[in-house]
Amino acid sequence: MINIARLFGKSPFAPLQNHMQKVALCMKKLSALFESLHKMDADKIEKLVTDLSQLEHEADLTKNDIRNHLPKSLFLPIDRAHFLEILSIQDSIADEAEAVGILLTLRPLEEFDNFHAGILALYEKNAEAFLSAKKIIEEIDELLESSFGGIEAEKVKAMVEQTAFMEHEADKMKRKFMKNLFAKGDSLSVPAFYLWAKLAENIGAISHISERLANRIRMILELK
Amino acid sequence: MEVETVLKILTLLIGFYMAWNIGANDVSNAMGTSVGSGALTLRRAVILAAILEFSGAYFVGANVSETVQHGLIDTSLFVSQPLVLILGMCGALFGTGIWLQIASYFGWPVSTTHAIVGAIIGFGWAIGGVDAVRWSEIGTIVSSWIISPLIAGVISFIIFSILQKKILFALDPSEATRKLLPYLVFIVLATFTLSLLFNGLKNLHLVLSFHKALLIAFLVGGLGFVIAHFLVRRRILFPELSPIPPSRHLPQTVISLEKAMKHLQRVHVASFDQTHEKVGKLLNEVQELSLTLKKETSFVERTSEYRSVEKMFIFLQILSACFVAFAHGANDVANAIGPVSAVLDIIDQGVLTQASPVPTWLLAFGGIGIVVGLATWGWRVIETVGKKITELTPTRGFSAEFGAATTILIASKLGLPISTTHCLVGAVLGVGLARGMRAINLNMIRDIILSWVITIPASAIVSIIAFYILKAIFIR
Repeated sequence: MINIARLFGKSPFAPLQNHMQKVALCMKKLSALFESLHKMDADKIEKLVTDLSQLEHEADLTKNDIRNHLPKSLFLPIDRAHFLEILSIQDSIADEAEAVGILLTLRPLEEFDNFHAGILALYEKNAEAFLSAKKIIEEIDELLESSFGGIEAEKVKAMVEQTAFMEHEADKMKRKFMKNLFAKGDSLSVPAFYLWAKLAENIGAISHISERLANRIRMILELK
Repeated sequence: MEVETVLKILTLLIGFYMAWNIGANDVSNAMGTSVGSGALTLRRAVILAAILEFSGAYFVGANVSETVQHGLIDTSLFVSQPLVLILGMCGALFGTGIWLQIASYFGWPVSTTHAIVGAIIGFGWAIGGVDAVRWSEIGTIVSSWIISPLIAGVISFIIFSILQKKILFALDPSEATRKLLPYLVFIVLATFTLSLLFNGLKNLHLVLSFHKALLIAFLVGGLGFVIAHFLVRRRILFPELSPIPPSRHLPQTVISLEKAMKHLQRVHVASFDQTHEKVGKLLNEVQELSLTLKKETSFVERTSEYRSVEKMFIFLQILSACFVAFAHGANDVANAIGPVSAVLDIIDQGVLTQASPVPTWLLAFGGIGIVVGLATWGWRVIETVGKKITELTPTRGFSAEFGAATTILIASKLGLPISTTHCLVGAVLGVGLARGMRAINLNMIRDIILSWVITIPASAIVSIIAFYILKAIFIR
């Protein structure tokens, strides 16, 4: 007997959101790291970053699981390539979080007090941009419900703009930090200078990727 | 006991078994969605399905049954040897029954309709030669198997696209639903009535011209429209869905402003010198205004709207599910009683003529078989199917079911035995193409084609074997 129930494949959108949760866990770990960076010793940092790596690995596993269970025969309301790209952009946020964490374990940060406030502010802005992108992914259920149009699409579009705005703010913050770094950096050793610069670079990437993710979602909307 | 009596009882038994099978397995396609979405309790779904399947079978079942009875093979070739035809039809019935058992044991996707048509072609060809099969009729039927899912898909696509444009993409979906609902009721009822009446109802000796049928359809639809309009407007139905908390500005305003911004930006890019500056200033002002307005406009609360839309559509989904159940009864009862009526006719009258009608009591018999199947086993299948297809929410379910049911009912009236499941699959795909579904398993299309390629020859062979076994028993 043919049963109509066979027609319904497993929707990959819930796993996509699940993956986003994992990425958010990575970011949460990183936030915890930054919050108490000033009072932590190398061992504590090392431990937190190991946890972070573990979380990133879990996110990778989820990602691969979704990829493996997305057969060509599955017909989605959005392009398959688009879907996979959203997934991969999302995953690269976790990669970036791990990269930042690893930078923190390389060596103790020199002239910590000079740059601490700046890097913290930079990180917070980037984390905000990420949270804003995460909210968009959480809207996918509603988007599916409205088949990607109407007021729901308008709402998501506004959220995308919001994310883009935060990315812009984060960029400004980064510029400020870099200016400060170059102004006060003469006394730093070369590796220390490089570490601070690299740290700013990688943290800034978080908001870049978040914006890219948001814009990717915008492309699946049906706006008038 | 005489051979005839034994055969009669045997045929009736196996016909009943086939009807039971249809009721047990296929009714779930019609009612599964409504149970899955919580629109109907299982109990109510079963009762509704029983009533509608039976009336579909009883009132409209004759058309397709007659096709199966004497439309597929040239019965005049068997005038001299009626017993062979009797045994052949019995063989076809047995063969189909056995093949369906084998298929469902292995979980193969098989359509009852294809099996019975294949079985009858098989024995006709094997006994009477190539000329015994009415190939032109078969050609029509086979092409209807290809066309019917396509038509169902197109209708569903159109209906869902209308729902998208008018409701899902509206700025105020639940108000839009209120407005559209009476029209949808009109469309459903008018289509249903028209496809039910367009060439009369034989069993009620009702002969209608197309114009009259059209007129009645309009009247019935109009009545539905008025009632729905009254209920919805007066908020007798869905009173709990209160209007959205007022926000200071309408979302329309914000969107209009954004459009203005877009155009201004275009001008800004294209212009230079003074105009450029002026437009730039204007643009800034509009941008600021738009931002402030946006903050004061409540977009966010409005998304819960889709839930209330789905709630309002539950009513339409039940209507369309009933429509499917009726159409299904009308088309599929033939699979069970078409061959039975052929056998009974030959036994009682000695010949099977082109004019011999399907007796009404036999249609009722088939209808009862379906209902019994539904009551003893089908409800379980409805429950399982319902759990699996929760994705087919009321708006989607309504679109798909409406497309499928219209197609099936028209095919039934034209006497074409088609697969109801394939129509429903086509219809769901139609909704999917309009970006309505989360994930559709396209393997199903492969399954359907496979079921074609395998079922027809397989059930033909099984029915030929069954025929020879019966022949060995009854003709010495």
